[in-house]
Amino acid sequence: MAAILSVTNISKSFGEFVALDNVSLAIESGSILGLLGPNGAGKTTLIRILTGITGPDSGSVNLFEHNHKVTRISYLPEERGLYKSMKVWEQALYLTQLKGLSRIEATTNLKLWFDKFQMSEWLNKPVDSLSKGMQQRLQFVITVASKPDLLILDEPFSGFDPVNADIIKNEILALSECGVTIVLSTHNMSSVEQLCTHICLVNRGKIMINNHLSEVRSQYGKNQFELTFQGSTVAFANALGHRFELVSLATKNEIHSAQIKTHGPHSANELLRALLPYVELKSLKEHSPSMNDIFLEVVNEVQLESTPHE
Amino acid sequence: MNKTLLIIKREYLSRVRKRSFILMSILGPLIMATVGITAIYLSLDEPENQHILVIDENYPLFENLDGGDLVKFDVQDISVDDAFAALKSGEYTGLLHINKKYYTNHSGSFYFKKQPSFRVQRKIEQIVQQRGEILKLGEFNISESDYKRIKTPFEMATFKFDSISNDAQETDITPGLVGFGFSILIYMFIFMYSVQVMRGVIEEKSNRVIEVIISSVKPFQLMTGKIIGIAAVGLTQFLLWTILTFTLVGGAQYALLSSKYSGNDVSRQMNMTTELKQSMAAETPEALTSMSDQNNLFTQLKRVNFPLMLGMFLFYFLGGYLLYSAMMAAVGSAVDNDTDTQQFILPITFPLLLSYVASFVIFSNPNSPIAVWMSIIPFTSPVTMMVRIAFGIESGDMWQVWLSMFLLVATFITMIWIASKVYRTGILMYGKKASFKEMIKWLKY
Repeated sequence: MAAILSVTNISKSFGEFVALDNVSLAIESGSILGLLGPNGAGKTTLIRILTGITGPDSGSVNLFEHNHKVTRISYLPEERGLYKSMKVWEQALYLTQLKGLSRIEATTNLKLWFDKFQMSEWLNKPVDSLSKGMQQRLQFVITVASKPDLLILDEPFSGFDPVNADIIKNEILALSECGVTIVLSTHNMSSVEQLCTHICLVNRGKIMINNHLSEVRSQYGKNQFELTFQGSTVAFANALGHRFELVSLATKNEIHSAQIKTHGPHSANELLRALLPYVELKSLKEHSPSMNDIFLEVVNEVQLESTPHE
Repeated sequence: MNKTLLIIKREYLSRVRKRSFILMSILGPLIMATVGITAIYLSLDEPENQHILVIDENYPLFENLDGGDLVKFDVQDISVDDAFAALKSGEYTGLLHINKKYYTNHSGSFYFKKQPSFRVQRKIEQIVQQRGEILKLGEFNISESDYKRIKTPFEMATFKFDSISNDAQETDITPGLVGFGFSILIYMFIFMYSVQVMRGVIEEKSNRVIEVIISSVKPFQLMTGKIIGIAAVGLTQFLLWTILTFTLVGGAQYALLSSKYSGNDVSRQMNMTTELKQSMAAETPEALTSMSDQNNLFTQLKRVNFPLMLGMFLFYFLGGYLLYSAMMAAVGSAVDNDTDTQQFILPITFPLLLSYVASFVIFSNPNSPIAVWMSIIPFTSPVTMMVRIAFGIESGDMWQVWLSMFLLVATFITMIWIASKVYRTGILMYGKKASFKEMIKWLKY
């Protein structure tokens, strides 16, 4: 698929601090890219470069044409903000027009979204008088009402209760179906699993993972098994030998559940063969790691690697 | 619609619609008009009420002292205690005590309950002095008619000679006063509105609305849009003030004066208003009043070149405002909240403050070296040049005005360029203790 926006070999430092170190990333048109990374990894800087808020020290940013028009980017920052004393409708109209829409276009789009989110009775209220959740909703509407080709959302679910977060999730999926490319930066791993087609994990100014979600999963899910059994745990541990490593073991109602990691390319059959003589197996399945696990693994690895040097 | 225009429109409308703006637009002229009207009113009422008890210790030296229409004298030979009792009783507005030593020291003491105007005080002095002179005529064997012929007042009209046009223009203090007024107005407006720019920037930064906006427009567009929008607010306010103040004062003048006085009196009363205004200036009242006695306010005001003054006001207000608001925008972008701004505002506005103070000095000597330099340096010229222009600038010195204008434009363009560099970095920096040093570093980002 064609890229809608790509950055090549970009670096950005603030004084001594290197926020991004030679980063390249291509955002595929129509994808939902999950931008992950621990706090201070350089996500915000990367987003600011993607949105054109700041320029990189070196490297290039390429925004490709979308349907032969200039690609329109809309950005919902993590730290939400609106003019407090301005009225809801005026504010929405102003911010949407700033994106380059005509007054008529902006009015039509906003009306649609205001109706959809049942916000029509707020029109003349000052933003100040809205609750935090309402303000978040308003901000989301303003972000999407400009009909962007590329939508960059930084922690879009923060501040929403589960019901409203679900509504937002569905809207994101609906937008994606309409062909909008979405970049989603969040710490909420379950929403990444639900929504994203691609993953980009940033740590310490570098991109650690950049791939399809399914690829990432299979890559990190290899060589891990979950099983339950009855019998002696000592015998079980002995049976594993040096080819298999016991990651965790829990017991409930005399049924033990264990997580096994293989060293080297050993199949489930091999594991079965090793265990069958010693314990009574109840279940065995290949472990599919959650994004949470992958995230922790990648980030911790880097930390372990770098700790001795510091 | 152009994005910068959208920003200008929002900045303008959101401020003009504010209750505080509307309040200021009404209160400002009301306060100014009240001062003006009170001045007229006081000068109208006061003379009628002057009834002065004179204790003449050399009685009947000053018997039948004639105060004309303005002042009524009652000369008595009573004790000081009795006189004060009489003053206390409320029959008299003032008490003039001329003691036994009058012949040698030529002085007396005047006591009052309500401060009379300088004009009334001078009138009293004149009347007593005249009586004293007439009393002395006998000593020198001069007849009263001879005395009247001897008395030769001398009046001096002042003219400014221009060596290039060979033209002499009559001068007086009023144009200078008008210029002084304009320069104070410029000082106020630059201060008020450049601080508003800073507040606006801080608001956007602390609201975090800034990130949304600069993902759709360039920081430079946002900054200039804000500066221009607020300038328009300032001009609107100025326009409202001018129109409302003139309407109010004009209306009140007409209502007050036409109902009480004939035309001749009106111009006399107008003189007194001028006097009052001038006595507020730093000059000695005698010098001012003797001048203004010759002309009435309206003929003096006619000499003020209002189109030139208004044009210059607009130029120097806008130039100075753009210069200072650019700096204020940079400061606003560098801090996280209002309280952090103190350390920046003072050094930045110091030249402005200095020029305000200096304009008093320049008022008394508009062509002194300090006046010339301050009116050329762009940081001080907006406030100080107005005074000099009002007094009139010799054709040979016109280069100073051109240089001053050129420097102001060049400086504000440079300053906006520098400020935009600080601004675009500053608005995205949170939690960093801002300093001038830090801001200089940002220029390179």
